[in-house]
Amino acid sequence: MKTKRLTAFCAGILLAGLAGSALVMQKPEDSTVRIVQDGVVLFQTDLQEAEDQTLSFVYEGRSNTVEIRDHQIRVAEADCPDRLCVETGWLRTALPIVCLPNHLVIEFADEAQEADIAVR
Amino acid sequence: MRCGNQEKTEMTTKKLTQLAMLTGIAFALFVVELQLPGLSPVPGMKLGLANIITVYALFHYRPGDVILVVLARILLGALFSGSGMSLLYSMSGSAFCLTGMLLLKNAVGEQTIWISGIFGAILHNTGQIVMAILVTRTPGVIVYLPLLLVSGVLTGAFTGLCAQAVIRKLPAAAVDR
Repeated sequence: MKTKRLTAFCAGILLAGLAGSALVMQKPEDSTVRIVQDGVVLFQTDLQEAEDQTLSFVYEGRSNTVEIRDHQIRVAEADCPDRLCVETGWLRTALPIVCLPNHLVIEFADEAQEADIAVR
Repeated sequence: MRCGNQEKTEMTTKKLTQLAMLTGIAFALFVVELQLPGLSPVPGMKLGLANIITVYALFHYRPGDVILVVLARILLGALFSGSGMSLLYSMSGSAFCLTGMLLLKNAVGEQTIWISGIFGAILHNTGQIVMAILVTRTPGVIVYLPLLLVSGVLTGAFTGLCAQAVIRKLPAAAVDR
């Protein structure tokens, strides 16, 4: 009986995860992105209006180079150990680009606000 | 406590050797997994092969022993992967994972050990997300949780089944409790 309930719980988690994944993989409607480091918004722009540019953010001597091109944003270069932020590629979904070693997050502003509300 | 249970809590040479060996195997699995190409660019999404050893130890040793094995593996892993940050995430993930698995241990039978693997994996991922939110001070990171839950259920079932197979081949009678 316990086993059945636990198995059902696992299946529930899997389904909830799948549903949640489908939700967060959608493209957000708002095109405002912001770059946050340690909870401080360093940069915010509307991608629809933003001109092509590169920005550099330094954290404890390590830097992330953020590129905005053709109304898209990505981390082009980083000297953190894992470089996951570079591999994530262009920001297309509600999933933020995260550089954990450098505490840097690039996210769509509207999704972030929803998550803020959900957490609080 | 001191007299009655001394036999059980005592760290015999045999047990110390077994725990050291388990730590060694877990660490080797961890290093092998480091060399594999990442499953995806999602931070924290991985097989978690070392979890096989954690689940195995959970069913053959006392809670304190399991915690020792996991702590030693995490410290070694952080040293060898050369990333101090990953230590924080591993610690937080393992704290969640161990707490949940120890609480659930009695509810999970020898035939359904894979359930332990699943709970271990999803709790580990949850712990890592909590730490990531604390470190980046950006609650938005939580949108990664659904992806990690899906991968956690799948990889946890896999590592749990591995542990179950090992436990079947190496029954409790073969080791010191």
